[in-house]
Amino acid sequence: MFRLLVQELKFRRNAIIGWGLGLCFFPLMYIGIYPSVAEEMAGLADLEIYQAMGMSLGTFGDWIGSIMIVMLPLIIAIYAIGNGTGTLAGEEEDGRLEMLVTLPLPRWQIVTAKALALVISTVLIYLIVSIASWLVFLGIEGQIETELAGLDMFSAVMSSWPIVFAVSMLAMFLASFCSNRRYATIISTAILVVSYFGSNLSASTPLLEPFEPFFLFSYLDGTGKAVAEGQQLWNVMVLLTIGVVAFELTLIFFQIRKLTVGAWPWQRDGVEG
Amino acid sequence: MKNFVIETRDLTVYYGTHRGILDVNLSVEKGEVFGFLGPNGAGKTTTQRVLLDVFPPTRGQATIFGKDCQNDGVDIRQHIGYLPGELALYANMNAADFFKMYEYLRRDKKTNGYWKELADRLDLDTSRKISQFSRGNKQKVGVVAAFMNKADLLILDEPTGGLDPLVQKTVLEMVREAKADGRTVFFSSHILSEVQAVCDRVGIIRDGQLVAIQRVEDLFAQRMNRLTLIFEGPPPEGEFNFDGVTELEKTRQSITLEVRENLPLVLAAASQHDVKDIETHNISLEEIFLTYYSKEEGGSLV
Repeated sequence: MFRLLVQELKFRRNAIIGWGLGLCFFPLMYIGIYPSVAEEMAGLADLEIYQAMGMSLGTFGDWIGSIMIVMLPLIIAIYAIGNGTGTLAGEEEDGRLEMLVTLPLPRWQIVTAKALALVISTVLIYLIVSIASWLVFLGIEGQIETELAGLDMFSAVMSSWPIVFAVSMLAMFLASFCSNRRYATIISTAILVVSYFGSNLSASTPLLEPFEPFFLFSYLDGTGKAVAEGQQLWNVMVLLTIGVVAFELTLIFFQIRKLTVGAWPWQRDGVEG
Repeated sequence: MKNFVIETRDLTVYYGTHRGILDVNLSVEKGEVFGFLGPNGAGKTTTQRVLLDVFPPTRGQATIFGKDCQNDGVDIRQHIGYLPGELALYANMNAADFFKMYEYLRRDKKTNGYWKELADRLDLDTSRKISQFSRGNKQKVGVVAAFMNKADLLILDEPTGGLDPLVQKTVLEMVREAKADGRTVFFSSHILSEVQAVCDRVGIIRDGQLVAIQRVEDLFAQRMNRLTLIFEGPPPEGEFNFDGVTELEKTRQSITLEVRENLPLVLAAASQHDVKDIETHNISLEEIFLTYYSKEEGGSLV
């Protein structure tokens, strides 16, 4: 399995570098710009539209929480969905998976290697962006009033990784469950988008409040407090558990999947007609 | 007791309500080249995918080297070289890296670097990216990947597809060499001339059902038995109604017969009339194949 993992990481090398370096512009732009917009942001703090988007902009910590903790995983989750569905359903559809499963490798090893490669690639992308955030913060530290340190910036960015892990594994599970990649991508994306807006709206709309536990982003704290003190352990555990359960389901459904057929699980046993 | 490498028993696959293959029973002996003939959609690829555990059968069983294809798939695949009919490769890799990856994943040290020899033989430039390859060169990559581990069993689905005639010849030579080494080849194709050139036996699959398994020479033995009898006058009526004799065509002065048995009786009956000439026809494998595929011929020789 280690050999396949190495190979899968090689396939993702360009994506890791591309996404990692590309997303460095994110802290460069949003952290770097803060000294020049700090006063304007404070004035926008109470606007409902920002609250609906999960953004609180009153202090530097709130700004970092809104942008780097909430928005960044939303973007990296797009990579995770593309890669999570592509590595199973995508490769199944284009035929490459058939070449792989006809090698002497058990299916659980194929899924595990691909999942580990996806997890490692998202961690590496996060590391690149976290280090970039740290460095950009060091560049503006003297121009802003904050009690945060460079390491807080690094850990704040990294602290949102569990939600990307959960989305990655959900995408892989859906790729092993759905009849094709298109459905897996649509459902994964819908979960992501609904989770994001649902979490923000349920915090401000009593009607949606009972549904809050079902939204992934409800387990991600994007406030200045979370930037300074980190995410709550319970929330982290919930997201990691969702990811691990989704991975277990991926193992089960990939094991029984009729590869190359493109069918839903209930169609796979076949009916003699 | 025969040493079977592949055995299937009542192998059946349904895709939902759509039939893939139905009750396929076949045995492939060690060291033989078994041709698996059939048009597109007949069930050739489905059979191979069950053998390789890409998906399980709806019912029935397949074994390779005496082991169950579903339960012992990993162990079995260690000894198989496979060329899929719908070849998909990692386009961004160059061919050399692809072969190294394959070798690396197979952990097959004893054949280390054999792919270079095969690539040279097929005149394949392994330094180029696969995405830059023509269809023929991609097929060469697939052929090298299938042969590079010197597997005991080769499962080849349309191995010469997209290749130019010279390379086709080389691939057929490679198949013959594999046989000479005592290896077994499951050779799926709808190109009959190449089946004729390399196979010991052929199985013909039609609409998911195996309708015939015969030795290639037995199939060809039939070609001497298609006769056209040309008479001085009108051909006699009802003189050739023997078992195994089929009247194919009748003209004003001739009659064409397919004679599977009772040839002496046919000749004796003909000698009672003014026969001007006798023509024998070389039946190609194509014609025999088409006979099995004609709607009128539903008989099974399995």
